[in-house]
Amino acid sequence: MHLYINLFGLTIPSYGLFITTGVILANIIAIIVLKKTKQDFDNFIILEAYCFLGAFIGAKLVYLVVSFNEIDWSSIKDFYSFNHLMQSGFVFYGGLIGGLLFVFGAGKVHKIQTIEYMRNLTFLIPFAHSIGRIGCYMAGCCYGIPYDGPGAVIFPQGSFAIPGVKLFPVQLVESALLMILAALILALQLKLKWHYTIETYLVAYGVIRFFLEYYRYDEARGFIAGLSTSQWISILLIAFVIAYNVAKKIKLKINNTAGKT
Amino acid sequence: MGVASLVLGIISLVIGIFSSGLLGWLGAILAVIGIILGALGKKNPENKGIATAGLVCSIIGLVLCLILYIACAACVSGILSSASSF
Repeated sequence: MHLYINLFGLTIPSYGLFITTGVILANIIAIIVLKKTKQDFDNFIILEAYCFLGAFIGAKLVYLVVSFNEIDWSSIKDFYSFNHLMQSGFVFYGGLIGGLLFVFGAGKVHKIQTIEYMRNLTFLIPFAHSIGRIGCYMAGCCYGIPYDGPGAVIFPQGSFAIPGVKLFPVQLVESALLMILAALILALQLKLKWHYTIETYLVAYGVIRFFLEYYRYDEARGFIAGLSTSQWISILLIAFVIAYNVAKKIKLKINNTAGKT
Repeated sequence: MGVASLVLGIISLVIGIFSSGLLGWLGAILAVIGIILGALGKKNPENKGIATAGLVCSIIGLVLCLILYIACAACVSGILSSASSF
């Protein structure tokens, strides 16, 4: 694990490098997919940019809520404190929800068929996330519980993780599971013309995240009734997806019945 | 829209190259807005050239800001000390 990587004489932060690499690769793959599905790449860029904006705002807002009691709000007027607060501290689920809200909002405002772009490109979310998680491993953030089994990792001084202690490699496990999920969604899409790519991602990621939370040890996770904030969001997300699809099927059945009578 | 995209793209580029880690988050937000305006501006044939330039500058600015300054998107303990005794 290396906080920084030396490339062509430059010292580059590993986490930023990996997340940017994930985003660039995802966009290259998107160009190929959009050519096949005959969709407009400029529309995709607009949706993606709104997604980033919403993800930033959502991830930051959830972080501020979860860490409300730990933040020194009295120092917020100091430029450097405010800048540090904006620069660091995000929660993925806040980003996911914020991103989704902004994407659908953008579709309505700019008259883009958001759902069609999303159904074809959902697999890129776990793909980019998987590469980003390798960045987490390099930086030592989002580290795992103390663990003395196969695959245990020890982080050096200077990383975000507890130094010199054997920890569960939760970042790498999540990275592997996300890449498998991305491949699975893409395979379902190509082989079976699977329509429910968004739902599959949200439910599968919810399950993955729920169980991996038990292996996370990084501080200030925010717990309510014994479950972490992310576990509660996982439960709510899975429940929402199931309820939404059941409601859609019932509505379709009622409409079909009304049409026949 | 194209001109706005170019201005935001240049600002995000400058922040990405020169601000030494201070304003990366601001550069990223400005770049994202520049990308939206650039992509929308490209739909107008009269503005296509300048909008494309704004789009490219904004994308480069965003990449620089992401690489150099972004914090862990899943880290909750950003402002807290991560070192705990064990």
